[in-house]
Amino acid sequence: MAKCTIDGREVEFTAGENLIEIARRVGVEIPYFCYHPGLSVVAQCRMCAVEVEKMPKLQTACSTPASDGMIVHTDSERAKSNQKSIMEFLLINHPLDCPICDKAGECDLQENSFKYGDAYMRTSEERRTYLDLDMGPVIKKNMNRCIHCTRCIRFGAEVAGVREMVAVSRGNNTEITTIDGRPLETDYAGNYADICPTGSLTLKDFRFHKRAWMLKKTATVCEGCSKGCNMEIQQDNNVIERCIPRPNMEINRYWLCDEGRFNYHYVNDRSRITAPTSLGGKTSWTSAVAAAKEALKGKKVLVLAGSDLTQEEAKLLIEFAPKAFPGSTLLHFGTPGITATTQDAPADTLLKRKSKTSNLNGWEKLGVKGADSIPAGTEAVLVIRGGRAELPNLDGVSTVVAIGVFNESEVAAAKVTLPGTSFSEKDGTIVNYEGREQRLRRSINPVGQSKQLGEILMLWTHSAAAAPRPMESVKGVVA
Amino acid sequence: MLVKRDVKALQNIYLIEVLKGLAITMKHMLFSKAVTIQYPEERRNYSDRYRGMHYIKATNGVENCTACMLCPTVCPAECIHIVAGERPDKEKYPVKFEIDILRCCFCGMCEEACPKDAIKLSKIYEMSTSKRVVYDKDYLLEQRGHK
Repeated sequence: MAKCTIDGREVEFTAGENLIEIARRVGVEIPYFCYHPGLSVVAQCRMCAVEVEKMPKLQTACSTPASDGMIVHTDSERAKSNQKSIMEFLLINHPLDCPICDKAGECDLQENSFKYGDAYMRTSEERRTYLDLDMGPVIKKNMNRCIHCTRCIRFGAEVAGVREMVAVSRGNNTEITTIDGRPLETDYAGNYADICPTGSLTLKDFRFHKRAWMLKKTATVCEGCSKGCNMEIQQDNNVIERCIPRPNMEINRYWLCDEGRFNYHYVNDRSRITAPTSLGGKTSWTSAVAAAKEALKGKKVLVLAGSDLTQEEAKLLIEFAPKAFPGSTLLHFGTPGITATTQDAPADTLLKRKSKTSNLNGWEKLGVKGADSIPAGTEAVLVIRGGRAELPNLDGVSTVVAIGVFNESEVAAAKVTLPGTSFSEKDGTIVNYEGREQRLRRSINPVGQSKQLGEILMLWTHSAAAAPRPMESVKGVVA
Repeated sequence: MLVKRDVKALQNIYLIEVLKGLAITMKHMLFSKAVTIQYPEERRNYSDRYRGMHYIKATNGVENCTACMLCPTVCPAECIHIVAGERPDKEKYPVKFEIDILRCCFCGMCEEACPKDAIKLSKIYEMSTSKRVVYDKDYLLEQRGHK
């Protein structure tokens, strides 16, 4: 295998790998701005220039594929002085507004300036300023902070498939903007904020909510559709502040759609029911469960479970339903018109899929059928869902009991509502469209008085005072 | 362990010892300067670096604070609570700025962390109240200090 030497460390590489990636593998950090592993290489920020022996000039590490026997110095005097000069050059026009910039704390420019730049600047000229036009509901633009890395332009053209960002004018007056100043069209606009190495493009949704370093991060999976994109939930004080993609080359690469990114809003929504409710009024868990049992007693029950519930919850319900309601039917629901994985298909060319629930495949694997319509003769319906599945029309049913995450208007007609947990408040397994098992991780504690489904069913089955036991029956479901 | 001390006969009557002690007391009472002061009327002059009641400095009537959250980040007592917002004349400003003064340990790290010279600790030390007080933004914006 071909070998090269980076800062005295010998590394093996496969043909075509660039120096940044190889160096990262042996723990040598090469600073960069315009390079992004998911985008084409343009080598225009010049920050990653390194010294390669037998080459007269510094070489940009992002655009230099390694070759056998190559000897690279990333910390030589020339490379270091180049880094320092580039930092000074980039900061000539960069405003000193880190205190009010949402990117501060996770900003490439800030970090590289701290590590490779100089604490003092020699310029006293005025910095260029721009008037910023609105870029639609997702992204807030601040051109003053831009360093012209063109990551956003390349992301639009290469990944999102829309050429919407362009660079106009030249040199110092370059402005990165949308064509004719139109708002962004793509459904993947949130990624612009992720890939921007400065605070030029930031999320409007997260604007001034928290500083980056205050957020506690949990690696989990998106529940927005059956794709199962890897995602990180960032929360503070039990409130989810934002979600960002987690790289997974086999599923979502570096990206996340806006639907999945902003899906979490229902979790901390004010209209979410977070206390047991009986006939529209708040009550205790004990009396709500008793009322729910009373409402369904002796009736022909249809158990409707959202296909956004995890495998563990599905297994619990499959065991619970026939015991609690003999003669009942258990069906799953999620997206109108999609009851089986055969109807699920890509909804666009990048990530989105038609099934808007995360675990359709898992429910099907456990042998539960999807609900087209309410079967004839149904007297009562028990609806259980995690928050994402779209409720079917239950107008004709006289008795509805709901367990899970609902907002007030959705369960106005329900006799009893028992608040459950959303994807961010529980651990569990979901199976994506291609059969890939992934773990949901709990990032926040259940909001209000919400309980896990296992606990609710325990209350239901045993007396109200029964202590919650670990979900023993779930053992063996997960490989 | 008890130690048997060798006590002389005169010491045993105590009278001389009592008079000796009284002499020291009288010396301090009559001939040395009082260490206490008549507090509300008289005040001590504390150092300019004294860390007392907080205030937010304002320039031309506008608060210096830009709600950068460095003070709640550095605060060891977690007593500063800020909610940031936007208004036409200022991109980012504190909509809410509250100091839970009973939790504050007056370490002055907020003042040190502030990049905008906004949060300050004045020399005011008379802060006792009969109930729990949270200083809000309006209260903090009264310019109390001169730092």
